[in-house]
Formats: sequence, structure tokens, C-alpha cells
Amino acid sequence: MRSSKRLGIMIGGCSLLITILMLVGIGYAIKDQLFPSVSAQPQVTALPEQTAEKNQLRIVAIGDSLTKGVGDSAGGGYVKQVVDSLAADPDKQAELVNNLGISGLRADQLAQNLKTDKGIAYALQQANVILLTIGGNDLFQSLQGVGDSNAAATAEQSMSLAQVEKGLEEGLTRLDNVLSELHRINPDARVIYMGLYNPFFDVEELRDGSLEVQKWNERAYDMLHGYSNMTMVPTFDLFEERIGSYLSSDHFHPNHEGYKQIAQRVVQAL
Amino acid sequence: MHKLLLLIENETLKMWKKRRFLVIVLVLLVIIPMFTYAQLTVAQNNKDKFADWRNEVLQQITDMQNRLSSNRIPEEWKKQQRIAVQQLQYYLDHDVNPSSPNGVTFTREFMNNAVGLFIPLLVLTIGSDLVSGERGTGTIKMLLTKPVRRWKVLFSKLAALTLYVSLLVGVMVLLCYLISGMFFGYGGWGLPIFTGFTINGSEVDTSFVHVVPQWLYMLMQTGLVWLSAMTVAILALMVSVLVRSTAASMVIMMASVIAGTILSSMSSSWENAKYLFAVNLNLPAYLEGSPPPIEGMSFSFSLIVLAIWAIAGLIVSFSVFTKQDILN
Repeated sequence: MRSSKRLGIMIGGCSLLITILMLVGIGYAIKDQLFPSVSAQPQVTALPEQTAEKNQLRIVAIGDSLTKGVGDSAGGGYVKQVVDSLAADPDKQAELVNNLGISGLRADQLAQNLKTDKGIAYALQQANVILLTIGGNDLFQSLQGVGDSNAAATAEQSMSLAQVEKGLEEGLTRLDNVLSELHRINPDARVIYMGLYNPFFDVEELRDGSLEVQKWNERAYDMLHGYSNMTMVPTFDLFEERIGSYLSSDHFHPNHEGYKQIAQRVVQAL
Repeated sequence: MHKLLLLIENETLKMWKKRRFLVIVLVLLVIIPMFTYAQLTVAQNNKDKFADWRNEVLQQITDMQNRLSSNRIPEEWKKQQRIAVQQLQYYLDHDVNPSSPNGVTFTREFMNNAVGLFIPLLVLTIGSDLVSGERGTGTIKMLLTKPVRRWKVLFSKLAALTLYVSLLVGVMVLLCYLISGMFFGYGGWGLPIFTGFTINGSEVDTSFVHVVPQWLYMLMQTGLVWLSAMTVAILALMVSVLVRSTAASMVIMMASVIAGTILSSMSSSWENAKYLFAVNLNLPAYLEGSPPPIEGMSFSFSLIVLAIWAIAGLIVSFSVFTKQDILN
């Protein structure tokens, strides 16, 4: 009987203590949530400075859906294949720091992200190789989905080719911003820019889009040439005649094979 | 007064002798190591993949943004993702790791996930047969023939139940901390946690955000967990007064709690569901700044709804219990 008495007091005592603690917690929570003090606004702190290690390849991929790997049935896109084939080479220790590709990203959005997002800068500073794809959405946004939908709007297409021409100048200015931001964040890393290709080469009305793509690539090369650490890898020739086998079913993004071809070129460039 | 204390002590000991609490502790001893192991594998995996937590958070943000750009995803879900992106970005901008692996963070996240379903179910195992159980075994007659007012009998049961709910929450926190600490380390009490995110549609307003040390955050969160557990306990007591069989009272309460979790994950289409108690149980979510399950819910709204349910439950249980005929 006495031991059960002691047990009762023990349980009761412990529980009572916890109960009081809980009530204090509730009190704090109510005060904190309903009457927050505005004075204690946390300051934005700078992320620690990063420097890339010399002896290995530290890769950051940034850009649009091609970087993300949209259309690749195996997932991962060209970035994964680049890293995999580099990692297989014992001389080059390759490591993917981050893949920051976002589907549908335009060059102006990327430039904005680079300017404001310190997390991205943090990752880029760790890298000594930066893989970049951008511009496809700036140039082709109006045309996306043309190839696989039946040509219900042929008249519209020729109009949108004019839009491509118009998008060219603006897109190139945006690209220039992206490059200068990249240079500001990490002037030492090798930047490899994937040139654009014309995904609509097999669509009669849009075949001329290749001319715009070439203009883009040429001007982009001019810009890249201005920075000693940046190079371009051309991709347009891969897709001119092999659209059927290298493009995925959305008729815009490469498929697994297409990404493999791009990856091979990147590896060669490195 | 002394008599009441003795009654409470008697009830407490009766509940202890039923060994339900022991079962609960055993369940916790099985489940917590499982979650610790799962968390450990995730942490290991991320450690191999990312240079540090900033890269990991950055990748999380990028992945979410990618999912957002897909148009196959329902708008409701996108909204939550957008909010999560903004909060993660806030943590990253302020160079604070949102989930640094340590015993305290694990405990915090475990309690946070347990509050909606797991804790209510555990509370039900101790609370559901308080009165109906005595009816089943017939001991209720013994109890009520004693020269004690009926409300005192029920009050002592309620007090004992409260004590056990506290004990349950306390033991859970303690076990979580001790077990996960073995793998993640026992530190992390002083880590900064952000609270006070206000959500407008899919935008996050950060003007009220402030830093709280993790120990204080834990205290606040556990307090809220206790509050929702108590609401469930009081309602379980009410059902066990109203319903003759323990099985039935258990099923009724479980069904309503589970229905609540389903409703809060499907949500939105039926807006009046927000007045149900089970939809409002996840109080810590407000602390964390996650969007409420149904439009129009807020911290104070949920507090009031839970309070009304609890008070109504108390009124019903006491008025029924004091007047009820005890048959058979």
C-alpha cells in the first residue's frame, strides 16, 4: 500500500511539473504569435566566402530546362552524363556541387536570380566549372509546342517567326547581363555555354528559325570571347538532320541520346 | 479537498495498473528508433551529395521551383510549395540551417509530425475507456455507491487523465531526445529558429519574423502539442461517458481524428470543415509558418475552436454523468 502511495506521488509530481511547463509554453506561444515584437527583425547575413579547390573539377550547372534535363527519359539530362563520364576518368576528380537548372527559366530571370540570390552565388563560388544553358526560352517561348500539335495555326507560326527575330535582340542583352553577373560572382571558373539549336528544323515554316539561332550563337560567341574563361559548345549541328532521333516527344527538348551527344561535346571541351 | 486528492490518486493508480502507459512507452521505443534510422540514412545520403547544408537547401529550392513550373500539379499544392520555397529562401538568406541534424531538431520535427494523428491515437488508448470501461466491468456501481458526489468522481478521472497526457508528452519528448541524441548528438538547444511568418495567399510576409532559440521554440511547440492532446483527451472522456461500450467509444474518437487528418489534407473544397476539432489539432504548424489546411484558419481561430470543443465536451460530460442512470 505504501509503495503504491509513493508511486502515486511520483506520477502525480512528474506530471504536474510537466503540466506547468506546458502551460508556460502555451503562454509563450500565444504571446509570441499574437503579439510579436517587431523590433527584433533578423538581419540578412552574408554567406561565408567560398573558393573552389584546385585539384578537382567542381561543377555547378545553371540555366533552363536543358540543365534540368527535361525530356531525358533516364532523368538528369546532359549534366549527369557529363559528371558521370568525368568521374569515370581517374585523372579528373569531378563532383557536381549543384544542379540549379529550372524549367522555363529565361535569361532575364536568371540574371535577376544571380543578382539577388546569395545562395546561388554561394554555390557558384565553390565551382571551378560552370555549365550554362540559357536563351532557348527567350527565343522560342512563343513557339513551344508547335511541332507536336497539328499545324492548326500555320498563319500564326510565320508571325511567331517574326517574334523570334524580335526576341533575339532583347534576349542577347539579357544574356550579356547573365554573363557579366557570372563573371562578377566567380571570375575564375571555366564557364561552358551550350549554344542553341533549332528544334523546329523539320517544320517547313520554321526552318528559317535556324538563321536566327545562328545569329544568336554568333553574337553569343562574341560576348563569351570577351571573357577569357568562357567558351561555347555548339549544339545546332547535332539536331539539324537528326531531330527524329535526338529530340524528345515534346519536340523541343533533347531526349536521352540528344543529351548524350551534348555531354560528349562538353567533356571534349573540358 | 483532501478527499478529492485521494480520489485523484486512486484514479491515477488505477490507470497505471492497467498498464496502458507501459504499452505506449513500448510503442514509442519501437517507433522512435525507426524514425531515427530513417533520418540518419537521409542525413548520410545528403552528406555524400552536398558540400554543406547551404548547397542542400539551394538544391531543395531549385527542385521545388522546378515542380512549380510543371503545369500538371494542382494549384493548391503549388501554393504550399511556393510558401515553402520562400521560407527556405529566408533561412538561406540569413545563413541559418533550417534542419541541422541534432537531437533537439529531431525531437522538434518528430513532435511536429506526431501532433495530428499519432499523439491523439496514443491519448485515446488511455482516455477512451475511463468511464465506459468501468461500466463494462461493473465497477462503476462500486464507485458511485461511495459517499462521494458524482462530479467529484468524474473530476478525479479528468484530473488523472490530464496528468497522463502531460506524462505522455513529457515521456515522448524525453525518449525522442535520448534516442535520437545517440546518433545526432545532444546539442542544438541554442540554435536560432525563425517564427512569425505570415501567409497571405501564396505570399509569405516576413515583416514579423523573429529569431527564437530552439529551446524556447521547443517549449512553445510542446505546449501547443499538449493543448491539442488535451482537447482530444477531454472529448474522449465525453464519448466514454456517453457510450456504453469501450470499443464503440474508441472507434468513434479514432474515426473523427482520422477523418480530421484526411479532411485537412484534402481540404479547401468544404470550407466549413474548419470548425471541426480534428482539423485544428495541428497548432505547431502556425508556429512554423506552414499554410493552414483550410483558407481562413489562423492561430487564434484554431485556439478558439479547440477551446469551444473542449468546454462543450466538459459541460456535456459533467451534466450527463451526474444525472445518468446506471443500469444493469
